[in-house]
Amino acid sequence: MTTSAIAHEVTYLEAISQALDEEMSQDERVFLMGEDIGPYGGAFRVTEGFQDKYGEWRVLDTPLAESGIVGAAIGAAMMGLRPVVEMQFADFISCAFDQITEMAAKNHYRWGAEVPLVIRAPFGGGTHGGPFHSVCPEAWFFHTPGLKLVAPSTAYDAKGLLKAAIRDHNPVIYFEHKFLYRRVKEVLPAEDYIVPIGEAEIKRTGSEISVITYGAMVHVALEAAEALDQEGIDMEVVDLRTLSPLDTDTVKDSVRKTGKVIILHEDTKTGGIGGEIAAILAEECFNALDAPIMRIAAPDIPVPYSPPLEDFFLPKAHDVITAARQLAAY
Amino acid sequence: MATDIVMPQLGESIAEGTIVKWLVPLGAQVKKDDSLLEVETDKVALDIPSPATGALTEILIQEGETVPVGTLLARLDYHSESGNGDSATSTIQSPVSSGHGHLTISGSPDLLSPAVRDLAAKHQVDLSRITGTGMNGRITKKDILEFLDKQGLAGKESGDSLMGQPASVTPSLEEELIPLSSMRRTIAERMVKSRQTAAHVVTFFEADFTTVEPTRQELHLTYLPFVIKAVTQGIHAFPILNSSWSNKGLILKHSVHIGVAVAVEEGLLVPVVKHADQKDLRQLGQEVADLSQRARSKQLQPEEVQGGTFTITNHGGTGSLFSTPIINQPQIAILGVGAVLRRAVVVNESIEIRPMAYLSLAFDHRVIDGATADQFMLMVKSVLEQPSWEVTS
Amino acid sequence: MEISQSEFLHLYYFLKLTRALEERVTTLYRQGRIVGGAYTSHGMEAISVGYASALQADDIIAPFHRDMGAFLVRGITPGEVLAQYLGKRTGPTKGKDGNVHMGDLKRGIIAFVSHLADNLPVATGVALAFKLRGESRIVATNTGDGGTSRGDFHEALNFASVRRLPVVFFCNNNQYAYSTPLHYQMAIKDVVERAKAYAIPGEIVDGNDVASVYLTAQRAFQRARDGGGPTFIECKTMRMHGHSEHDSAKYVPRELLEEWKKKDPILNAERRMKELGYAGEPEFQEIHMRVEREIETAVEFAEQSPLPEGSEALEGVFAANPVEVLI
Ligand SMILES: Cc1ncc(C[n+]2csc(CCOP(=O)(O)OP(=O)(O)O)c2C)c(N)n1
Ligand SMILES: [Mg+2]
Repeated sequence: MTTSAIAHEVTYLEAISQALDEEMSQDERVFLMGEDIGPYGGAFRVTEGFQDKYGEWRVLDTPLAESGIVGAAIGAAMMGLRPVVEMQFADFISCAFDQITEMAAKNHYRWGAEVPLVIRAPFGGGTHGGPFHSVCPEAWFFHTPGLKLVAPSTAYDAKGLLKAAIRDHNPVIYFEHKFLYRRVKEVLPAEDYIVPIGEAEIKRTGSEISVITYGAMVHVALEAAEALDQEGIDMEVVDLRTLSPLDTDTVKDSVRKTGKVIILHEDTKTGGIGGEIAAILAEECFNALDAPIMRIAAPDIPVPYSPPLEDFFLPKAHDVITAARQLAAY
Repeated sequence: MATDIVMPQLGESIAEGTIVKWLVPLGAQVKKDDSLLEVETDKVALDIPSPATGALTEILIQEGETVPVGTLLARLDYHSESGNGDSATSTIQSPVSSGHGHLTISGSPDLLSPAVRDLAAKHQVDLSRITGTGMNGRITKKDILEFLDKQGLAGKESGDSLMGQPASVTPSLEEELIPLSSMRRTIAERMVKSRQTAAHVVTFFEADFTTVEPTRQELHLTYLPFVIKAVTQGIHAFPILNSSWSNKGLILKHSVHIGVAVAVEEGLLVPVVKHADQKDLRQLGQEVADLSQRARSKQLQPEEVQGGTFTITNHGGTGSLFSTPIINQPQIAILGVGAVLRRAVVVNESIEIRPMAYLSLAFDHRVIDGATADQFMLMVKSVLEQPSWEVTS
Repeated sequence: MEISQSEFLHLYYFLKLTRALEERVTTLYRQGRIVGGAYTSHGMEAISVGYASALQADDIIAPFHRDMGAFLVRGITPGEVLAQYLGKRTGPTKGKDGNVHMGDLKRGIIAFVSHLADNLPVATGVALAFKLRGESRIVATNTGDGGTSRGDFHEALNFASVRRLPVVFFCNNNQYAYSTPLHYQMAIKDVVERAKAYAIPGEIVDGNDVASVYLTAQRAFQRARDGGGPTFIECKTMRMHGHSEHDSAKYVPRELLEEWKKKDPILNAERRMKELGYAGEPEFQEIHMRVEREIETAVEFAEQSPLPEGSEALEGVFAANPVEVLI
């Protein structure tokens, strides 16, 4: 096989494929399960060509039964394999809820059995998918001890976090944002690398306001930060990357520096991850706070379909800018 | 009437599509809902039916090209069939309102943030003496810092002062507290910040001012205009010296504005000679004299000390030979000019007495490397040592 | 029992209407005017038209995504369907949901959620309510071959059978679930085998023969109404296009499609009606023209309907609680 000497840009989606491919070729315990991932290559084509390369048993097409798929993957994982399950859409993860929250999450705590399982969950809106093809279900699992949750925002992180997830000895839900699949790309390192689970990253340094966010909203925050720069407001963007366990140190350091904070997520507001972060800051950074903590999140409704409704639903750079101006003036 | 043909969204994650084939030639007629073109995405290849009956008057995207969803591909001139001006773009409107922008915070004057309380407590500030400038008259961190500034009692920043914590703010009997002037404070802050920001490296050169002398005396000038001249020519040869650092990249400045450090009673000011590269020696001489005089008498306008792209410090005026100056941020280099002294130097295998000076260039190693700095300095040196200076240069 | 001329003409009209409407959906999708997913039932229309036509007015359906015909038979208009697809305020969900995710209790339709087979346990609950209140109403529900692999399917069948609930389960077996062929979905040849495990009587019908579906459904509905409990009806058919508009279905052997093309439900119906002497080309042509006109009107209605305002997204999360006065 020849690889082009010229570095080319890799999309977020291709980065996910690369991570799977590399891990499968270097670790024969790794195998894939899911609906339509075989000859079809998955609903989004992440595993296109994988079955030709790795055969039918390592790229296993399953019946339409999420609970059964996850349960089987848990069993295989406990026997020493490293299954990576694809949910066709993150929305359907609810069909596998008890296997994830009861079996996968509690095994090690109760009786010490490791469940090195990865569930890939294509999530998020902005694609006119309506109430059942757009959700951000991370908060359901954020509340479950024993699960690790990651949500990359760039191609680099997408690849590095997936490799880290596959090598992890715990169940990891890997939230991949559908809107970013073919919209973000970058040149990736040729050598093997991982992005460690549990480490946030400052995607833009700033001194006045910290935006704490993840997933597609990182790009919304960066867009807002650029616009605010013109107004002389210097905003820092913290990309959580891992949602559980949270990298609270990076979040707190940023807020101690700026004193002002916006927590931004695409998921609905009530009971979302933002609430937890706000509570941590209130508990542990109280003296550093120089303004009320602001949360920007989707309103508490299902994700609507019609473009004007979905536009209304999704947080936008404009919302961040409006909040930031108030904080700057506070 | 014309209708737009746009790249449709063929699948949830699809961001772009490729035109495989135009099925109707340019100018030809097409019926509503008949196939107009073939489009391919990562997922599928499909015939796209025409949204109206009419002639294909314009093809903007050619076969084989890949464009984002929503891109205008072609235009159709059409005869309205049923009178309803249907257009392929009519369904999607831009958002007018959003579900989040209504979030507001309010600040009543007596609502102090924890950070403000913390700062006030640390410095034992009586908050009733401060007028707030924040939302609805709130007292902000900045208000407290400015108050302290006036009192001359605390560092600019709350906890981590740039100047480090003073040992104690109450002097003993053998000590005396000299309040900091705001100029002192600013200088201190900027100097420390520059050292923390840039990767300072200094390189030293020596220049022979023999050929400068006659012209200098003829025009009654100091050495400085000649040095400015040499620097601007060096910058023309190595424009990177006239840049500044930002996280996104280097910002190369197209105008050459030279700052000249002037010692004043309370400290130091750096007035700026704008477009120094476009001025001759006489103009430079006049301008430097004027700026320094007004700097000392505190008559400079704010814009006269702003916008410098490179700075020269003439420490030789007080007899200093060479120095390691601190870069004036966000510039990337500063040139120190030592005293011009008559020294014995070897010229053409004999010893001669020449007016010599040491030149010290402090540069930011993040931006340029030693080789570039030295090439720049060689250029400055060779300009200064040019065989004969034109009065009008 | 044979089918009457007027019944057959009714069925034929809805087959044609469903076909024309979904063809229009495809066109609008490819023109970029429908922005979400588009799933159609081309070649499978006889199933939804057949079973829905055998119901009575106050019965309930809990359909799935290949049941456009059932929506139309229950009175959802083509204009409403297109408004729904275009995200317009005049659609049954007022823009909140897309494609066939629509319902209306007044017309006896329970809205589908994407999560396949979730509608089946709900259908048993509807039947339970009828039984508890002693009503003679029944419920019909449908799912794909793929949907029968989910636990909810089995839980529903089991409960319905144990309690002899008045529910009839249909299965649109179009031999694929997205790209997954039947033999990777289940190890049995006929989906109807699944019913045996729950002691539910099962039947297999030709899903491309609208009269068979209609008559079989009628019998099962009568049995349910009479307290005989659930029936499972497997309708054999073939998905004639991709899973949705963005799938070119390269994984389906072309010969299979060629073979099934000959069994097109509309051609089948025309052949049979001619044999029975119920109708001929002039009548078919007339219905065709009528359907075309209706679709044109529907397109116009949908396109001229307003989009919702963004803030309408906030409406309707909770039902209002009218104050109940106790006397
Ligand atoms: C629980 C669940 N998992 C996955 C999906 C994604 N999905 C939508 S349709 C489909 C295939 C359905 O096949 P089948 O039930 O046979 O119905 P058909 O589309 O063939 O009519 C899949 C996998 C879903 N909607 N629900
Ligand atoms: Mg099927």
